[in-house]
Amino acid sequence: MKPIENVPDRKLLLFKSCMVSQEYPGIESATGYAFDRLGVDYFVNEEQSCCTGIGHYTDLFEGLTTAAIAARNFAVARRCGYPNITCLCSTCYAVNKEACELLNTNAEVREKVNSIFREQGMDDLVYEKGDMDPRSNFYHAVEVLLSKVDLIRENKQLDFSGVKAAAHHACHYYKVKYQDVVGNPENPQLIDDIAAACGADMVRWYEDRTLTCGMGFSQLHLNRNTSLQVTKAKLDSLKNAGVELMLHMCPNCHIQYDRYQPVIEKEFGVEYDTVHMNIGQFVALALGADPYEVCGFQTHSVPLEGFLERIGAL
Amino acid sequence: MIVPPEKTAVFICHCSGNISEHVDIKAVKAALKAEGISVFDYEYLCSSPGQDLIKSKIEEKGLEKVVIGSCTPSKHGLLFKKCVREAGLNRAMLEIANLREQCAWVHPDTAEATEKAITLLRGKLKRLDRGEPLQDIKVDIFPRALVIGGGIAGITAALNLADNGVSTYLVEKDSSIGGQMAKIGKIFSPDKLAEECAMCSLSPLMNEVAAHPKITLLTRTEVEAVRGSAGKFKVMLRTRPGYVRDTCTACGRCNRVCPVLVENEFNCGHKDKKAISMRFSQSIPKTYSIDPDHCLQLNGVPCGKCAEACRTEAIDFGQQEEVLELNFGAIIAATGFKEYDASLKPQYGYGIFENVLTQMELARMLGINGPTKGKLARLSDTCNLDAGNSNPGNSTTDFSNAPTTDPSNAPTTDPSNSPTNAPINAPTNDFTPNSPESSSLKEKLSDPPVPGRIVMIQCVGSRDEKAGGIPYCSRYCCMAALKHASLIRKKYPDTEITICYIDMRAFGFYENYYRAVQEMGVSFVRGRPAEVIRKSDKSLIVRVEDTLNQKILELPADLVVLSAAMLPSTGTRVIAGVLNVSQDETGFIKERHSKLKPVDSSVDGIFVCGTAQGPKDITDTIAQAGLAAARARAFIADSPKVLEHELARINQLTCTRCGDCLSCPFDALSFSESGRVVVDPLVCTGCGYCTEICEKGAVQVAGFTKSQLKSEIEGVLEAGDLLGFVNSGISSLTCDNIGNSVLSYPSNVKLVKVSTCLVVDKELIMHAFRHGAASVLFVEDPPDNPRAEVIFPLALRHFEKLKEELGADGSRLHFKKAYVPNTKGLAGTFTSLAREGEMNGDMVR
Repeated sequence: MKPIENVPDRKLLLFKSCMVSQEYPGIESATGYAFDRLGVDYFVNEEQSCCTGIGHYTDLFEGLTTAAIAARNFAVARRCGYPNITCLCSTCYAVNKEACELLNTNAEVREKVNSIFREQGMDDLVYEKGDMDPRSNFYHAVEVLLSKVDLIRENKQLDFSGVKAAAHHACHYYKVKYQDVVGNPENPQLIDDIAAACGADMVRWYEDRTLTCGMGFSQLHLNRNTSLQVTKAKLDSLKNAGVELMLHMCPNCHIQYDRYQPVIEKEFGVEYDTVHMNIGQFVALALGADPYEVCGFQTHSVPLEGFLERIGAL
Repeated sequence: MIVPPEKTAVFICHCSGNISEHVDIKAVKAALKAEGISVFDYEYLCSSPGQDLIKSKIEEKGLEKVVIGSCTPSKHGLLFKKCVREAGLNRAMLEIANLREQCAWVHPDTAEATEKAITLLRGKLKRLDRGEPLQDIKVDIFPRALVIGGGIAGITAALNLADNGVSTYLVEKDSSIGGQMAKIGKIFSPDKLAEECAMCSLSPLMNEVAAHPKITLLTRTEVEAVRGSAGKFKVMLRTRPGYVRDTCTACGRCNRVCPVLVENEFNCGHKDKKAISMRFSQSIPKTYSIDPDHCLQLNGVPCGKCAEACRTEAIDFGQQEEVLELNFGAIIAATGFKEYDASLKPQYGYGIFENVLTQMELARMLGINGPTKGKLARLSDTCNLDAGNSNPGNSTTDFSNAPTTDPSNAPTTDPSNSPTNAPINAPTNDFTPNSPESSSLKEKLSDPPVPGRIVMIQCVGSRDEKAGGIPYCSRYCCMAALKHASLIRKKYPDTEITICYIDMRAFGFYENYYRAVQEMGVSFVRGRPAEVIRKSDKSLIVRVEDTLNQKILELPADLVVLSAAMLPSTGTRVIAGVLNVSQDETGFIKERHSKLKPVDSSVDGIFVCGTAQGPKDITDTIAQAGLAAARARAFIADSPKVLEHELARINQLTCTRCGDCLSCPFDALSFSESGRVVVDPLVCTGCGYCTEICEKGAVQVAGFTKSQLKSEIEGVLEAGDLLGFVNSGISSLTCDNIGNSVLSYPSNVKLVKVSTCLVVDKELIMHAFRHGAASVLFVEDPPDNPRAEVIFPLALRHFEKLKEELGADGSRLHFKKAYVPNTKGLAGTFTSLAREGEMNGDMVR
C-alpha cells in the first residue's frame, strides 16, 4: 500500500496525456490551476511524448517500443530536474510504472533499448538500471490532490453541499498495480475523500462500483455492443442511486461516459441526468476556476450548464 | 587453581573408531605423558564401564582435575559432569575437548588430526588451571499460575491447572467468563452429526471455575504490566469497578427498573441491554454490573432506581478501580480472536445492507438467548425490535451520547416502571417491554417472516492475497457454515441454502458431517462471489461465477452470511506487547516450535493456547489448552530450578560500584539495598555484555573468564592458526554439524567456545596474535530468537569497534553469522580464512 504521506509535492513532471490534450484539454489546465493554488512544484515539458498506451492496448505498439519511448520520457523527466512523473491519465501511470519495472529488471530489454539509443547517437537517453524507481517516481495527479485535501478544504471558494456525487476510479490505477495503491484496492476512495472535502455528498458504494468503464480500448470498436452495455450497467446503477455528478480520474473513462452517454441514451432508449467531470476539474472549480477558461467544460458532450448554474458556478 | 600434574588426568574416548581411526591415540598419550600428565583411553567412555574407569581413577589417584577427549560436550557433557560429581569433583574441574566433531571428523589426515587433538587437550588442561569451583544456581519458582482470558481456552487451562493442585488466577476483561463460545448457540463436533448446545458444555465448566477452591476468578480485570521473568513474574492487574457488591443475588430487580437501554456487545450490538445487567443469564460470576458509560447516576444525572430496587443493598456507586500486584511462576495467554472486519470487503455489502451478517452474528441469532430468541430473521424485519425496546419518546442514544440529559426525558414515563409498581415477585430477569406501543411491536416481532433463501460466502478475508486480506485459512469457517446450514435446514426445511466456497475444508472426521449436510439438500457453488447487490425490494443478489461449469450465477438471497476470517483479538495483540512475547506477522502469539514446543511462547514460563496462538475451532482449542496447563504445571513443579547456563559474576572486591554495567540489555544487573551490584540469575543470559563495559574487570561470566580463555588460547594456538571464538548456542551446534556432514576444513582452525563473542576483548585478541594466531574469527548466532535478537547487533557492534581499535591488525579480525543448516558455508569460511591467513582483511558474512 502507498502511504499518502509519501506522495511528494516537489519536482513533479505533470505528464501530458494524448487523450487529455486531444479530448479534454481542460483537465490539464484545471489540474495545473489547482496545483498552483496548492503550492505544488510541477513542470510541463513539451519535449515529452505520448506513453503509447492507446497504441499499446490496441496492439499497434509492442512492448519493446513502449519501453523505449518510456525510457526516453524518463530521460526527459530527469534532465529537466522533475523526475516524479505525475500522470493525468491512469493508462500513462500504469504504462510508465510497468515500463520502469521492466527496464530495471530485464537486462535484455534494457540493453536492446539502449543499443537503439546508442546507434542513433542519442546517448543522453540511455537508461541505467535504477535510474527511476517504479514505486517512488510515479504518481497519479489524484494522489497529489488527495495529499493536499486539507488545503483544498480550507481554500475552497465553491461548496458542493447537496450535490450527490459518485467516483469512478480508473482500473489502470487500482487494478494493474494493485499492490501500490493509496488505500484499499478493493475499495478505492481517493476521489470520494477529495470531493467530500469540497462538501459533496458522496455515494461511496454503489452496485458495480468496481466495474470498468467498458471502453477496453479496441473493444469499444470491435465489440461495441458489449462495451456500451458495460458502460450502461454502471450508468443505470448510478441512476438508481440518484447520482447527479460522476467524477473521473482517467480521460479514457471520461470519454467513455461523457461522449457515449448520449449514444447509449439514443441506442438503448434510456435517459440519464448524470454529468461528468475529472477530479482535477472539480477541484479547480472548487478553488474558484472559470468553468470554461480553466476547466474547459465546453469540450464536454454531456452539457454541464444546468448543473453549474445550480451550484452557482455560472 | 593450579594443582600438581599428578593430580590431573586425561581420558580419551575411542568412540569405537570414530576418533581412534583418525587420531593416533598412542601418539597423543606419549606427547602428554612427556609433560607429566596421566592419560587413559577407553573404547566407549560414555558407557557404564567407561564412567566407572573415570570414577575409579579419580578415587585411586586422588585426581583433582579431569580432561575428557571425546565427542562434542553438547552430546554427553551432562553425563560426564554427573560422573565426576559422583566421584566428588566440582563440575568446573572437568573440561571436555571435542575430539570428534571438531577434530577426527573434519581432518581426514591422521597426522594433522593427531597434532590438533594434542593442542585441543593441552588447551583444556591449561584452561583447568584457571578454573574455579562453580556453585549450582537454583531459583525458586513461585507456585502460582496466571491464566489470561476467560474463554473456553482460559477456562480449560485454569481448570486443568487447578485440578493438578496449582493455585491459579483466571483474569477476564469482561464482566463474565465464557468468551466467544458463550455467544454461539450450537457447536459442531467431529464425532457426531448432531449439533451440541454450546452453553450445555460451557456452563458447567464455568460453574466449576467459580466453585474451584484453587481458582481465583477476577473479571473486569486486565493485565497492565508484567515485570520479572520465568518463575517470578510480578504482574499488575487492574480491575474496573462493577458498582455492585458480592451480595448481589442476581434477582434482576435492578435490571427491570433501570431506565437506560444500551447496545449489547454480546448480542452483536442489538439495543436490548440495560445499563445495569449481566452479560448473559448464565454469567459467572453471577453478579450484575453497571455500565459506567451509560448509567445516569454515574454520569451526574440523579437516578438511583437500581439501588432503590435492590433488596440486598448491593449497589455501590462509590466503588473504585482496584490495582493488585501479584507474583506468578507461570503465565498462560488465552486471549482469543476477533472476527475480520467484513466491511473491508465493501463488495459484499457488510455494514451497507442490513441483511448481510457474519457467521458469528448468525450463530448469535440462532442462540435461543440471542436477539431473536433463536428465530431466523432478516435484520430488516427485526430492526423494529430495537426501536420497540427504546420506546417511547426519545431514543436512548441520546442518553448514551449525552449522559447529562435531563432525566425527565428518560423513557420511564410509564408508571408501571416506577420501583414501587415493579413486578417484584417475577423471578425472570428477562427484559419485558412495558409500554403499550412495544407490546404491539412485540406481537409483530413474534412472527417475522423466515428468510427463505440464504447464501453463505466463505473465505471473506481469509485466503486472500489482496491488500486488506489475510493469506491463511481460518480453519473453523467451513464447519461453521455447514453447522449453520444444517441447523437452519432442520428447523426450517423449506429454506434454500447455498454455500459459495473456494475449497470446502472439512478435515478429519468432519468429512462425515460435510456429507450429511450435502445430503440435506444444501447447495454448494465453487466460486468466490464478486459482489452482493441489493434490489429495490431489499432482497439481495449474490453474483458469483460457478467455476466448475464456468457460468455466472445471480443467486437471490434474503440473507447473506459472510464467513469472516479469524484475527488475533485486540487483547491478544495488547498482551503480546505486555508480555514481550514473539508474534507472527498477523499478530498471533507465536509458539516456539510448531511441533516440539507448540504452546511455549518465546519467553520461558509463558505459554499460549487457543485462538491467541492461531485460528482453530473449539475442539482443538480445548486440546491445546490442556497441553498449555500441563506445560505450565511442569514448569512450576520443577522448583527449585537449576539454571543450565553460566551467569555473570561480580567480584565485589574489585567492583567500584560505578554502575556502568547496569546498562545490561536484559536489565539483569542492579544495585542492592546495600549498594552492591547484584545479578538477577533469572534474567541474566550470561552474554557477557557487561564484561566489555567494566573497566576493572570486576564482572566476568563464570566459566568464561578472561584468564580461562587466555590459558586455553595459549594451549591450542600454533603459529599461523585461525582462532575461532564460537558462541556456545546455535554457532557451536553448527560447528559440530560440519563434522556430522562429513565436511572438512584445515586443522589449523582452532575453535574456542565462548558464551557469546561479547566476552572477547581487545586484550584477548592481542593475546591470540602474540601466541601465533594469523587471524581471529567471531562466530555468532543469527538474530533468530529473542535472546539472539538482542545480542547479535551488540556482538556486531562490538566486532566493528574492536576492528577499529586494532588498527592495522583489524584486518585480521573477522565475523560470521552461523545458521544451523549452513554447515557448508561455515566450513568454507574456515577453509578460506585459514588458507588466506592474513590476506583478506574484510569482514566475512
